[in-house]
Parts: sequence; structure tokens; C-alpha cells
Amino acid sequence: MLSAPPILWVLAGALLLAALAAPGAALADAGVARARVVDAYIEMRTQPGRGYPVFYVAERGEEIELLRQRTSWIQVRNRRGIQGWVHEDDIARTVDASGEPLALATASFEAYTQRNWEFGLLLGDYGDTDTLGGYLGWHFTRNLSVEVAAMENFGDTSDGRMLTGSIVHQLYPRARYSPFFTVGWGVRETNPRSTLVSTEDRTDNVASVGAGLRIHLYERLFLRLQYKHYAVMTDRDDDEEVDEWKIGISAFY
Amino acid sequence: MENRYQRVLLTLLCCATLSVQAQEDAAQSPLEVVRPQVERRDVRPAAIDRQDFEVGTFAGLLSIADFDADLVYGLRGAWHVTEDFFLEASYGLSQGDQTSFEKLSGGAPLFEDADRDYTYYDLGVGWNVLPGEIFLFGSRALKSDLYLLLGAGSTDFLDDNWFTVNAGAGYRLLLNDWLAWRLDVRDHIFDRDTFGEDETTHNIEVSMGLTVFF
Repeated sequence: MLSAPPILWVLAGALLLAALAAPGAALADAGVARARVVDAYIEMRTQPGRGYPVFYVAERGEEIELLRQRTSWIQVRNRRGIQGWVHEDDIARTVDASGEPLALATASFEAYTQRNWEFGLLLGDYGDTDTLGGYLGWHFTRNLSVEVAAMENFGDTSDGRMLTGSIVHQLYPRARYSPFFTVGWGVRETNPRSTLVSTEDRTDNVASVGAGLRIHLYERLFLRLQYKHYAVMTDRDDDEEVDEWKIGISAFY
Repeated sequence: MENRYQRVLLTLLCCATLSVQAQEDAAQSPLEVVRPQVERRDVRPAAIDRQDFEVGTFAGLLSIADFDADLVYGLRGAWHVTEDFFLEASYGLSQGDQTSFEKLSGGAPLFEDADRDYTYYDLGVGWNVLPGEIFLFGSRALKSDLYLLLGAGSTDFLDDNWFTVNAGAGYRLLLNDWLAWRLDVRDHIFDRDTFGEDETTHNIEVSMGLTVFF
């Protein structure tokens, strides 16, 4: 048995303490958003999910408090204290205190085209080795974004880690199938495997060009397919050139 | 010379007519009795507390192929992207005990103690395939989810990194609006060539954890 590092127990303890100490009711009262039903009715479910039973309907004119949101579901409470979960599309059709439609960013295709942040997990092939990693992207215009990616790959003779920054240009930001082009640069660390005769680990600069396709699936989810060509600037006479193919699942915020 | 006089005169004439026109315009416009005070509506997204992220710790047993089953513990975080799918990352630590051969032969150990440390991370996608409710004491209903997981990651064991595929299933029970209890069973599958030839190993982990939604 190994002795657990104290940091983990401290973390777990802090988590539990925070969980027990944070009063759930205090959250509910401080500046809660309110809305009024203008549809004929809206359905309240017992839990956040389309399969859960509808146990109450709030009628036109009823005022509801919006307590919290989880994925596409918003927990609401009416004046009589009845609490339930309503889909965000229904909440988007309510009005605020001034009678204006409630400003609510729903997870629609429209929101996808207006996204600021995206995050995804990628898996694929880097020069005939398995590779995986994640990336974070920030869109500063509808067409242009910057991305940071951390990747690791596993080969028979060596494995490596790579940290890269890229600029990504998408041609048609409003398209469901949206192609993009990218250029990037970064660093790569290569470690020879221990079963081979020991050679030094090495760190090289890398540059890349690539192209790919984003495909919006539904709500916040989209697929990402991409190809990149890397030039690894080694100390040896020739630079390494590597092709990389990846598929990823991403979400936007 | 004559041309210049003409030009100056014409310019003056133009200016005069324009200023008269402007005066007439001012006279025709109605008196402003009440200055309309239209407040610009501030369109802000409604301030709703979003709780799509889940983080927590877990501890359990990891059965390492050719080694013992040992304590495993770590951190886990998830982003609930839709009600059906979440992206998840885990980081876990364990340690391989002596292999059966080492115990039986009684000879010198095959690996240094430091190489026996088993650390892994994995990134994956979870699918809440069976959402449900648990009824406690007849009066309370707690949300539950049975989910399937598929992911990939890296295992650092016996002084090498191995590309690892993860598959598993888990059960999440929300104890209140933001605290969840989780039970996970996953198989960490990777090809290892430590004992000469490539062999696929299955390393099964059973763990429990507490997570917080925020």
C-alpha cells in the first residue's frame, strides 16, 4: 500500500467542508433572476432531463425565480415555493420585470456561430504513432481564433509531448460544416523509450500548417477533424517532417 | 477681374439664401416642451447561476495486470456539455506491488521501487445513458445517472508512458443540488512490452468518489 500524499486528503477534506458549509438557501436569495410566464403555460419537471415527469405547470402571468442552470435546464421556483426544472427554450419565451423578453443565451446553432470559447479532446495519429490531447480556443473575430493545444504521442521507439499555439481561420463561420486553416508553432519534447539504449531526451521547436473541418452536432457539441503537417526543427542535419490526423469532440462556451 | 467680382458676389448671395433658409427651418420646428427621457434598455443575459462543471476526488482499487490490486486515488473533473454528454478528465495515482514471480522466486526484485509508481491521466466522453431517480424514505427524490465512458490517456508505469484506452461505466447520485456521489468501474487497456514482447493488459479500477457541481 502506498501512503497517500497529504495534499489529496487536504483537497478532499476541503471539498467536503466547502460542500457542507455552503448554505444552499443563501444562493437562492442573493440577486435571483426573475421571469414572468407569457406562454399559455410552461412545464416544470422533477429533475433536469427530458425524460423526467412533469409535475406542475406554471400558468400565464405566474412569476418564477430562476435559481440555477444545468446544461439546458433551469431550476425555477414560483411564489408558492414549488420548485422544478424547465427547459431553457421555454424560459427564453418568458419576460422580465419590464415586460421585455428575457435575454437568455440558449445553446442553439445561433449561439454556436457566436461562440467565444471552445474546448475539445483530440485523438489520432502522429507520424504512425497514437496521439491524444486537448485544446482551448478563443475567437477574437467570427473568422479568427487563437488556440493552445497540449498533445502527447506514443511510439515504439520514443514518446513525446508537444505544446503549440495556433491561429485558426474559418472561412464560413455560419456554416454547419465549417472548414478552417491553421498555422502554429510551439515546442516538442521527445523521450526515447526505456527499453532502448538510453539516449538523451531532447526539446525542439516545431512549426505547423494544417486544415480541418468543424461539424456542429447539436446544442453545444461539435466534431472536429483536422490534418496538420509539422516541421520539427532538430539539431541534426535534417528537420523531421511529420503528418498528423486527428478527430476530436469539442464544445463551446 | 470681372470674373472674380462675379464669383465673390455669387458666393455672398449663396450664403445669404442659405442662412435665411436655416432661420426658416428653425422657426418651423416645434418647441420642445418635454424632453423625452427614453432609457436605453440594458440587454444583459439573465444572471442565472450555471452549474455545468463537476470536480471531485475518488479512491478505490486498481488491479494492475501481473501485479496486485492496490489503492488508487486521484482527481476527476467533468464538463456537462448537454444533458446527455459530458467531457471528463481524470488523474490517478497507484503503485504496483511485487509480481507473483518476484514473491515466489524470492530473488532480487525486477523493478526499482520508483518505477512501480503507477500514474495515469485520461480524457474521455461520458454518456448519461440511463438517467433516473432514487426515492429515499418515500418523500425525497434524488437524481441519478448511469453513464458509459470511453476515453484515452497515458499511463506512466515501469519507467515508460503507455497509450491507454479507457472504457467503463459509472453511477452518479446527486445527494442535493450540488453534491454527488459516484461509483466508477473502468478498464485501462494498454499494450506493454516490459517483459519482452508486446502484450495487451487490462487494468480494472473500481472507485468511489465525491464531486461538487459548480
